[in-house]
Amino acid sequence: MFIQQLVNGITQGSMFALLAISFGIVYGTLRLLNFATGSMYMIGAYFGWLMVHHVASNLFLALLAGAAAGYVVGYILERFAFRALRGVARIASLICTIGFAMFFNELMSVVFGAERKAMPSFYADTAFVIQGVSVSWLQIILVMVAATVLILLQLLIYRTKLGLAIRAVSLDFKTASLMGIPTDRVISLTFSLAGAVAGISGVLAAAYYNALFPYMGNMAGLKSFSAAVFGGLTSIPGAILGGYLLGIIENFAVQFISSGYRDIIGFSILVIFLLLRPQGLLGRKTD
Amino acid sequence: MKLSLFFRRHRIATAVVIALFLVILPQVLTSAYHLRVATLVGIYVLLVSGLNIIIGFTGMFSLGHAAFYGIGAYTSAMLTTMVGWNFWVALPVAGIVAALFGSLIGLATLRLRRVFLAFTTLGFGEIVRILILNLRSITRGPMGISGIPVPKLFGWSFTGRGYYYLILVLATLTVATIYRMYHSRVGRALIAIREDETAAASMGINVFGHKVLAFTMGCFFAGIAGSYFAHFQRFVSADSFANLESFAIITMLALGGTGSIIGPILGSTILVLIPEIFRFLMRYRGVIYGLTLIVVIVYRPGGLANVKGVFEKPKLPKRPGKGRFGFGRRRPAAVTGESV
Repeated sequence: MFIQQLVNGITQGSMFALLAISFGIVYGTLRLLNFATGSMYMIGAYFGWLMVHHVASNLFLALLAGAAAGYVVGYILERFAFRALRGVARIASLICTIGFAMFFNELMSVVFGAERKAMPSFYADTAFVIQGVSVSWLQIILVMVAATVLILLQLLIYRTKLGLAIRAVSLDFKTASLMGIPTDRVISLTFSLAGAVAGISGVLAAAYYNALFPYMGNMAGLKSFSAAVFGGLTSIPGAILGGYLLGIIENFAVQFISSGYRDIIGFSILVIFLLLRPQGLLGRKTD
Repeated sequence: MKLSLFFRRHRIATAVVIALFLVILPQVLTSAYHLRVATLVGIYVLLVSGLNIIIGFTGMFSLGHAAFYGIGAYTSAMLTTMVGWNFWVALPVAGIVAALFGSLIGLATLRLRRVFLAFTTLGFGEIVRILILNLRSITRGPMGISGIPVPKLFGWSFTGRGYYYLILVLATLTVATIYRMYHSRVGRALIAIREDETAAASMGINVFGHKVLAFTMGCFFAGIAGSYFAHFQRFVSADSFANLESFAIITMLALGGTGSIIGPILGSTILVLIPEIFRFLMRYRGVIYGLTLIVVIVYRPGGLANVKGVFEKPKLPKRPGKGRFGFGRRRPAAVTGESV
């Protein structure tokens, strides 16, 4: 039972970690929270589903489609919710992303219907068995994809010129622009990246649960925000740690308390950490 | 602008005309359905005005207002169906219980920075919904509570018109209370806190105390609205108090104008009526709300009432003599980049 919960926790944690990173990238560069992260996740899942149903039944192509959709949505969000509101109180952007979240969720439920759609299962065969717990190929692929994305992001931010520009913008917007960094383009790209990561996470979730629906992003978004705060919003390793820990804690808690309360755990962690340790487990103290 | 000047000059006449209109309205609206829509507008006036105290006056972003609405509704529903209380007792008690929860949540979270407060209250809203669904022994879980009694006054049961007049009285009382509060010492203190907490504190205002007070007041009105809703609908379930409801309330507030008295009334009237008048838009209700929120915040942060609210607060420049009195009224963000 212990191993079972651990395996489930790590698999779900991968999706939380990806979404938490999506929150983290945006918060790290702009000190802004993107409430529509859950919508990017949902839209990614839908485009992955479209790919599987209408083009080719391949999980990796679906992941690409989801990432592309998230990328575009991230761009739209930056262009309309954030660029127009730069220089205005930060909370205006947050409320504006709530508007986008409502808009996207309802739009998808009008276009595709509010009911659940079934995602075919991929790689459902058992890969190996540890102590009576079978681990499927899908779970392995899921964790591997998440790990690859996280490593690539880390490399992008710390090893490339673009990453240098992102870090410069996050440290000091004005000086970065004086140094010849095209700040608008860098910020726009950051949002698109965050969108792509969220989109990938959405496709993974749809494949794992074999289902997708227009409101799937609400709870996932809130929980991964809790995970991001838990690990530390300003730190990428922190967000990853938070995501995995939340996944594991949630699965163990379900074991001990009723499963109806599963969704409360994330929020309890969120409230406790915001009150007692707002910088999270690994974050550094800011302002 | 000339129109608003006209209304301002003939304030009493305008008020009398509007009051007459609202009183006569149920005689004109013959269909029960129209009366029901008018009543719904009233419920939202209560909710949005309450939230306006929290967001518009004090600048605290509570995204979980529907939770307090739900707490009020469930309190009233449980008291009247399970304990057998009278509606007239349950109504204020529901408000007080919601206010109590509000003050507890406020005490715990109001020290947080704005954006984090927003997410915490949102999480709280979700927790309340989950608790309602899971505490089956008290709330009957997903089945909801049905058979909530119709309010009676001197042996006379409320019908469509009675309900309308009741919510008219409640909404009028609410708006009047908030109006008096806004123009009192407390109201000025709240505005001062919204504009600059540090300055307010150095003027001797108890910032935290006033914040909790404002939060509690807002939740009280939400509780009253919830109690009324429970007895109007005669059925409550957790679905009516989901986060989408909180967002709808915020959209109405933003559209009407944060920090204004008349704004919440305008916002809730328009956003309740539009999907009802244009029936083909009913499916797109959420889409319209989302678009409204986006457009209002980007293009008209003051809302319809166009008073200085919370969304158009430009940050003061860090260095004196730069920015604010520099070139042009609003400098491009790329130059100031303050809030980035």
